[in-house]
Amino acid sequence: MARPSPSGLVDVVDLILDKGLVIDAYVRVSLVGIELLTIDVRVVVASVDTYLRFAEAVNRLDLKQDPEKGLPDLIQDMQEGGAKKKTTGALEGVGDTVGNMIDRVRGHGDDEDDDLTDEDEDEDEEDQEDEEDEQEEVEEEPARRPARRRAPAQRKRRER
Amino acid sequence: MNSAIPRQTGEQDPACYVYGVVSDSAPEPAAAQGVGDPPAPVVLVRHRGVAALVSEVDPTAALGSPADLRAHANVLDTVAQHAPTLPFRFGGVVRDVQAVTDELLDPFGDTFAAALEDLGDRAQFAVRGEYRQGAVLQEILAARPDIAKLNEQTKELSEEAGHYQRVQLGEMVAREMAARQQEDTSALIERLAPLTAAASANGVSADLAVDAAFLVDSGRRREFEAAVEELAHDWAGRIDLRLLGPLAPYDFVADLIEQAGGGP
Repeated sequence: MARPSPSGLVDVVDLILDKGLVIDAYVRVSLVGIELLTIDVRVVVASVDTYLRFAEAVNRLDLKQDPEKGLPDLIQDMQEGGAKKKTTGALEGVGDTVGNMIDRVRGHGDDEDDDLTDEDEDEDEEDQEDEEDEQEEVEEEPARRPARRRAPAQRKRRER
Repeated sequence: MNSAIPRQTGEQDPACYVYGVVSDSAPEPAAAQGVGDPPAPVVLVRHRGVAALVSEVDPTAALGSPADLRAHANVLDTVAQHAPTLPFRFGGVVRDVQAVTDELLDPFGDTFAAALEDLGDRAQFAVRGEYRQGAVLQEILAARPDIAKLNEQTKELSEEAGHYQRVQLGEMVAREMAARQQEDTSALIERLAPLTAAASANGVSADLAVDAAFLVDSGRRREFEAAVEELAHDWAGRIDLRLLGPLAPYDFVADLIEQAGGGP
């Protein structure tokens, strides 16, 4: 089992975004509204396109072969990551692991400060998340799409 | 630090980024690098038995770079290894140190202290797993003859002729996977929750098979970790499990405050 350090961006985002005590609720008078460029965590749209990807994946599945064969590149990445991630017992994960995971999720190799806020899609992922029952997507493109959100810190954000 | 000199409020003065609250006996997070560019050192603002973890931040600069997000988590997770920690949500900024004392620690200090005591030496662990897509698709085909049949049918159809059937096939597979995510997450919780003080399943997202958080007593940590290892072994080839932690109790802090009977 993998014990990666949670410095992997995807894990960090999942862990901290929209979690924790909301300071707005405690501090009102002296709150500084700072522009937050946060990351759209779970934009997953159940679409025809998504379904077609599933259909393609299952169509390509050859039952006589190894389960992993004949699937999109995603799988290859997962296998590679899986092999490297056997860091049983170590609290701090291997640096590779973080990179691999980001590669897989983001679709390319740079896990540092790249483009996370550079896309100009204005999406309100919270609403989308609520509206969409279907949350399935098989693709190597980012499932977590960067979005630029201009949210002043004092905006009352919805509790989970 | 409650004797800190109040700053003038002006455009140029640094504001105060708040990471979380600890007991005032917690050690200074000397090595921790805060948010912002360049990152400012993280210090404790102590008042009435509790202390806020803060760092100076430029109020005119936007926050939210990958480095900022990592810094926020890193500060909290690092401190949480040594002392009970109540994490605040990313992005909380107040005017100055004086305001942290006057508006946060003074009115809510008792609540924070009670929540910290309840938290004790527990830490959060996150367990996440991803499906081996091939394996789970095979499972679905084996379990659902209707899907397997539709799969065979659509293979033989041209892209145009089979469009509708393929959408239908994909939707059925997607639903079946969602059902498996729920089942597997329930199984995960059922197996691990008895070893923990609290458990919380996160909403299943697209690419995760399972995603749950647990609040674990330090005395049961080994037992918990062994159970996760065992589960990872049982799911080998099907779900790749990852264990993150110990972490600050991001998923449990709201409940802790509520139980402490306070809060705003």
